[in-house]
Amino acid sequence: MAIGLLMHWMGYIPNGLKPVILWGPILVAIGAFFLVLKLGVKRRFLNTIMNPMTSWLSRGFYILSVCIIIGGIDFLISLLPYLNIDFEFWSWLITALDIISFIFALATAIYTGILIMSVRYVPFWDTWLLPALFTVSALSTGAMATMLVSTGYNIFTTSTGFPEQMANTLSSIEQVIIVIEALVLASYLFTRYRLKEYAMYSVQLLLSGNLKYVFWMGIIICGFLFPIILEGIYSRLHDQHFLLFLAGAFLLLGGFFIRYVVIYAGIKEEHPMQRWLENRRFLEVLNKNTDFQAYRREL
Amino acid sequence: MQGKVLYIDYEKCTGCRECELACSVFHTGASNPSRSRIKVLKWEWEGIYLPMTCQNCEDPFCVEVCPTKACHKDPELNRVVIDKDKCIGCKTCIVACPFGAPLFDKAEGVSIKCDYCDGDPQCVRFCETKAIRYIDASEMNATKQYAAAEKLLDTLPKQSIPS
Repeated sequence: MAIGLLMHWMGYIPNGLKPVILWGPILVAIGAFFLVLKLGVKRRFLNTIMNPMTSWLSRGFYILSVCIIIGGIDFLISLLPYLNIDFEFWSWLITALDIISFIFALATAIYTGILIMSVRYVPFWDTWLLPALFTVSALSTGAMATMLVSTGYNIFTTSTGFPEQMANTLSSIEQVIIVIEALVLASYLFTRYRLKEYAMYSVQLLLSGNLKYVFWMGIIICGFLFPIILEGIYSRLHDQHFLLFLAGAFLLLGGFFIRYVVIYAGIKEEHPMQRWLENRRFLEVLNKNTDFQAYRREL
Repeated sequence: MQGKVLYIDYEKCTGCRECELACSVFHTGASNPSRSRIKVLKWEWEGIYLPMTCQNCEDPFCVEVCPTKACHKDPELNRVVIDKDKCIGCKTCIVACPFGAPLFDKAEGVSIKCDYCDGDPQCVRFCETKAIRYIDASEMNATKQYAAAEKLLDTLPKQSIPS
């Protein structure tokens, strides 16, 4: 939705075609519905509003609510021209709603990373690079979704409602964002690897452990390499739309895998007692190997 | 820290898990250790059994992350309590706790944790070996200091201890 509004402000999307790109709040509402389904006591989901001072889950509830409600109103107003209702005299209100929708759409993208980061005792998540990664990934998938929707609209209505120049601009932005995303991911993994042992284990889990296939094939090849190559070919062969849809499918899948591996690679710092036991075990082995007790008796 | 706390001496614990049963029966009416607020962690290869429960931290992280304020401090009994009527079962407290203390009760769909049984902990009453005690916080420090001193004395050669 944020990318769509940005394109609208850049003059690529005429007012009449705004409803085609403003369905983001509907998807967010569906996602929020699934979040409610995951609760232990679903009927009490409104209790979440109680603690916005310290809880990011509570703050997220407000962010998603405003995004769904204001975005939904924005979407409904954009449908008015189809009902032959003149809304030109409300243009200031529509601009205000667009700006609020844009801000809260961005906040929705950033919030998920911050929510996960706020769990302090998982060293792999405890960095601002995580919200940065999630945000860049959201922008990348958002840009691709906007491009797919506009191209799909042009194909199925056999019109040129969305100018071809918009697809070119979005494609260039998309490729730059993918490179930025790869850089943020690399810095994220590098800083985590160097930080603490549990963050290092998480990175090892991704690069060479149980999640290595998801990481290398799902994110690096499917999420980064394929979309860049396919978009590069598409920029030369504009009539081969299947290339764009293929790139889009790979990129959206890559975005899903990034979130998947970040969640599954998070390892909590070990229980203090567990560490103590491991140290004790290590010392026992050391004692046996060096006959440390005999050495002490001699002293 | 003021008030009473649970003091656990893992060296006395035999791993009988009677504390888990007592806790479960007191809170749920069912003899079901999976719904107990106290868990006995076992390291069988070391012969160590450690009853683990909420540490009732001074500055609890579970209280900070709880979106509904169901998880809150009760200064009277020096404990952190989860209000079952406010909890929505989002499990945020479970993810946030570094000790893994709050547990999810599938039967009720809410997070549960030790609440000192409102001042009369059942695990303490039923612990045969007195591995779990409900003592004053200041006394706990002294007990730990004595235990540490005794261990130190054990490591010293007997002749070096002045009579």
